[in-house]
Amino acid sequence: MTNHWNDLANSDCVMVIGSNAAENHPMSFKYIKEAQAKGAKLITVDPRFTKTAAQSDVYAPLRSGTDIALIGSVINYAIAKGLLQRDYLLTHTNASYLVKPEYKFSSGMFGQVKDGKYDSSTWAWQKDEEGKILTDPTLQNPSSVFQLLKAHYSRYDFKTVSGITGTPVEKLEAVASTFCATHKPEKSATILYAMGTTQHTYGTQNVRSYAVLQLLLGNIGVAGGGINALRGESNVQGSTDHGLLFHILPGYLKSPEAKDESLETYLKTVVPPNTDPQSQNWWANAPKYVTSLLKAWWGDKATKENDFAFSYLPKRGGNYSHIALFEAMAKGKIKGLIAFGQNPAVGGPNSNAERAALKNLEWMVAVDLFETDTSVFWKAPGFNPSEIKTEVFLLPAAASVEKEGSVSNSGRWAQWRYHAADAPGVAKSDLWILTRFVKELKRLYKAGGAFPDPILDLTWSYGDGEEPSPHLVAKEINGYFLADTEIKGKAFKKGDLVPGFANLAADGTTSSGNWLYSGSYVNEGNLMARRTRTKPEKDPLGLHPEWAWCWPVNRRILYNRASCDAKGKPYAPKKKVVEWDPKAQKWHGDVPDGPWPPPLNEDGTQNPAGRHAFIMVGDGRAALFAPRLADGPFPEHYEPHESPVVNHMSPQQHNPVITVWRPEEVGKAEQFPIVASTYRVTEHWQAGAMTRNIPLLVELVPEPFVEMSRELARTKGIKTGDKVTVTSKRGSIELKAVVTPRLKPFKLKDKEVHQVGIIWHFGYNGLATGPSANVLTAHIGDANTNIPEYKAFLCDLNLSGKGGRS
Amino acid sequence: MSHGVLVDTTLCIACRGCQVSCKRENGLPAEKTTFNTKGNGMQNPSALSSTTFTYISYSEVEQGDDLKWVFAKHQCMHCAEPACASACLVGALTKTDCGAVVYDAKKCIGCRYCMLACPFNIPTFEWEKTIPFIKKCSFCFDRQEAKNAPSKVNGKDLPPEQAALHAKTFKEPACTRACPTGALLFGDRKELLAIAKERIAKNPGKYVKHVYGEKEAGGTSWIYISSVPFASLGLPAKLGNRSFPSYARAAKEAVPYVIFGVGALLSGFYWFSKRRSQLEQAKEKAK
Repeated sequence: MTNHWNDLANSDCVMVIGSNAAENHPMSFKYIKEAQAKGAKLITVDPRFTKTAAQSDVYAPLRSGTDIALIGSVINYAIAKGLLQRDYLLTHTNASYLVKPEYKFSSGMFGQVKDGKYDSSTWAWQKDEEGKILTDPTLQNPSSVFQLLKAHYSRYDFKTVSGITGTPVEKLEAVASTFCATHKPEKSATILYAMGTTQHTYGTQNVRSYAVLQLLLGNIGVAGGGINALRGESNVQGSTDHGLLFHILPGYLKSPEAKDESLETYLKTVVPPNTDPQSQNWWANAPKYVTSLLKAWWGDKATKENDFAFSYLPKRGGNYSHIALFEAMAKGKIKGLIAFGQNPAVGGPNSNAERAALKNLEWMVAVDLFETDTSVFWKAPGFNPSEIKTEVFLLPAAASVEKEGSVSNSGRWAQWRYHAADAPGVAKSDLWILTRFVKELKRLYKAGGAFPDPILDLTWSYGDGEEPSPHLVAKEINGYFLADTEIKGKAFKKGDLVPGFANLAADGTTSSGNWLYSGSYVNEGNLMARRTRTKPEKDPLGLHPEWAWCWPVNRRILYNRASCDAKGKPYAPKKKVVEWDPKAQKWHGDVPDGPWPPPLNEDGTQNPAGRHAFIMVGDGRAALFAPRLADGPFPEHYEPHESPVVNHMSPQQHNPVITVWRPEEVGKAEQFPIVASTYRVTEHWQAGAMTRNIPLLVELVPEPFVEMSRELARTKGIKTGDKVTVTSKRGSIELKAVVTPRLKPFKLKDKEVHQVGIIWHFGYNGLATGPSANVLTAHIGDANTNIPEYKAFLCDLNLSGKGGRS
Repeated sequence: MSHGVLVDTTLCIACRGCQVSCKRENGLPAEKTTFNTKGNGMQNPSALSSTTFTYISYSEVEQGDDLKWVFAKHQCMHCAEPACASACLVGALTKTDCGAVVYDAKKCIGCRYCMLACPFNIPTFEWEKTIPFIKKCSFCFDRQEAKNAPSKVNGKDLPPEQAALHAKTFKEPACTRACPTGALLFGDRKELLAIAKERIAKNPGKYVKHVYGEKEAGGTSWIYISSVPFASLGLPAKLGNRSFPSYARAAKEAVPYVIFGVGALLSGFYWFSKRRSQLEQAKEKAK
């Protein structure tokens, strides 16, 4: 989240798209209801009339996978009607930048694709001889980002879009007029999204379309604004912050690739070029964070002479995302699997293929609270246990309340949790289990092995007790001074905790396991454990700066300097997040995005010391035109990889730069005419291991079901409670039907299309069992992140025993 | 002060935190359920039972092209003048000062008159047990009447501000405490009634212009406001505004007169018949 949960209450308009917040993030509605009571409008865009839709002022249905078309029509409306925050556009975005004249968008493509990759050389700026980007503040130059954007989205008129999304034109108008009303400087709107947005072959571009819209309306960095990813697990924010994904190290540093042979060459790829004298280009500090990270991991063994042990870091040479790993496993290239709190036999796409891939493993270690479906994969339907040779170990794990530690919520708040109850039986904390792994690895490598140094030299000093200390882990993440230092007159001793990432150094005199969390655990104490409620008179926006700790540097709203004009005056004085005080030469309010003055002085002259608000990009300005993504600088509508219709926006049917893993497993509309999506319910969690074993939750939702419209059910003779068989190109499942007016057929340009939805929590093991929706989903993913396209695929459906496999 | 709960169904998102926290508070086991067509596949369990004191109903309400999906909590309404208490021969059910209608299992003789008397069909019976009792929501009266809320967390004293907050939330029913959206608002019934009427007045067109439970069956501690007719939420309609015990009151009030009058009449008959028999005996003697 750019903002945080409490801040939803400050919004004038909340748009929920690709999320069913009322169902999956019930607590969000505490704040959304507060906003609505103050007059805010709630818009829900979803294929189904969900619990969130039921609370909305405006509900717009859309066919799964057509978000860019719908948002594109809202962008087009905002530009055509002039509902823009013009000062914001000029001050804080790259709207005025001139793009190279060679840049061309035609036939749905942003240039030539070769070997699955775009030639992106034309997605670049016009520059003067000094390398400065050329701009046109009148926004009239046809090569300006604004004019290119305008031309790109002029194709997205309501009628064309309605023919793609199936949203009635009047609903598109209602969404557009309600949302764009917040272009006024004193108004803000927020977008809440989740997996309904990201789990597409163009998921990243879906999010980008929200960013473009929000920037046009001046809604980023302001109270009640932002783009807010509602994370699906209590600590998934924390795990991505700490390097869960294969392409990032802790703190969103790029993980090194095979070509990054030395620290120097690697750092060159991490620091973006600075193209504006008033850009702070914060990533220029990356060398300090990388060195401090290497010092945290390898301590005294990381020296200037050995490139701070950069050679110890694994270098990636390919795609190690979920789908790619299971494809490799299917080919027998992976011998072992540690499934740590993961249940891919239920949660992974194309379950039948992934379960079959598990058979190729020599060993598996599953670490979980319960016996998961994955940990007993030989019990999967149709499997013969006697043919499976995999040796499986199940390590019982302690639950979050059975151990101490931090949890980072979607709003980036790291909150300390206490050990509330002892774990049952021999269940152990993850930290205990990992420590035993490391100790054993060190023992084995001591006896020999290839390249033992990274393991043998690895620091692992979390105490000598039976239970490793989470406080020592948190302190290591925060970082230490490794030499006596003085900062602004204050002396720090070797071994003192670093007060914040501004104090990290590239010369090896500091350590930090994750620069973003530097400042969370300092000499004064564990700031994540703070529980002070600030009174409303002191904190009218409800930022609660002394409740827990928020990355970075306890900043509650990201890019908050963009809530002010170029002189540092808040656009919305009644909802002021920060304000520049020219007399005191400092910012008041939330922790600002850096202490520097705003770009302009009070008299309107340029301040050379001033800095633009978007400090994480090289030029300091938010990107309407984003040249760094794999699939184009502007979001463009493509059809899901499996779609019932042709793309009415361009001749390019699919995202042209996705990896197609199993071309033979693509379902065609003639055979599978119905659009399907998967989703969750309040009562169950993810792949179900934690909830399908809890009687009180099983009581509430004992079986999976498929939701469908009355119109579809009528043609198939189906009633609520009937058993139906749902089939895709990958497999077939049988489950109960829910026939409801909450789903309606979509009237598209040239045909009517039905959509159904299936909850995906169920599997074959546990107290409550049932068929897994992911038997139906495909091994196909997003062009940038590889996240699987769970949310739009094709199926057919019949009353069991009538044309379907029962 | 008589407490109540204002159920504002326009705020309920059916997270069912209330339903689960009720079971946890009362130590009730999960029922073995299957897919239930009630609530169009969403509601479970299907009805109140001796192990389910509350549930959320799901109603898809279509008014022309307008579709509403409305969720409502069902449990004992805690009537101002409870029919169950009135029907109870042994005084096992009583209305307390805090508003709760509570049940004393020690007094219960298992006649189940309360079940028949309740206009909302709330009390349930432990049919499956050898020594069965009546079961229903107690409005967590034990929490409401608790003298002191725990003031320590992890062995440390809570700061006064937090202790006050904790004490306030501790003294409310488990279900209302679990509600994230304010759909269940616990407080003084009079104040809640005023809030309910204010919400209806301030949001024209949003609510049905009626507070269910203000007068129904003589008034209930739990009151409801809704965007759809209450009957579509499964709340009994046409209950009338008279309390159920008041129907029986005229008959009951007549009991002393009836006993006296009938007694006097019977005494008269007795005297008359005795006198007649005495006279007959005297006649026979005279013969």
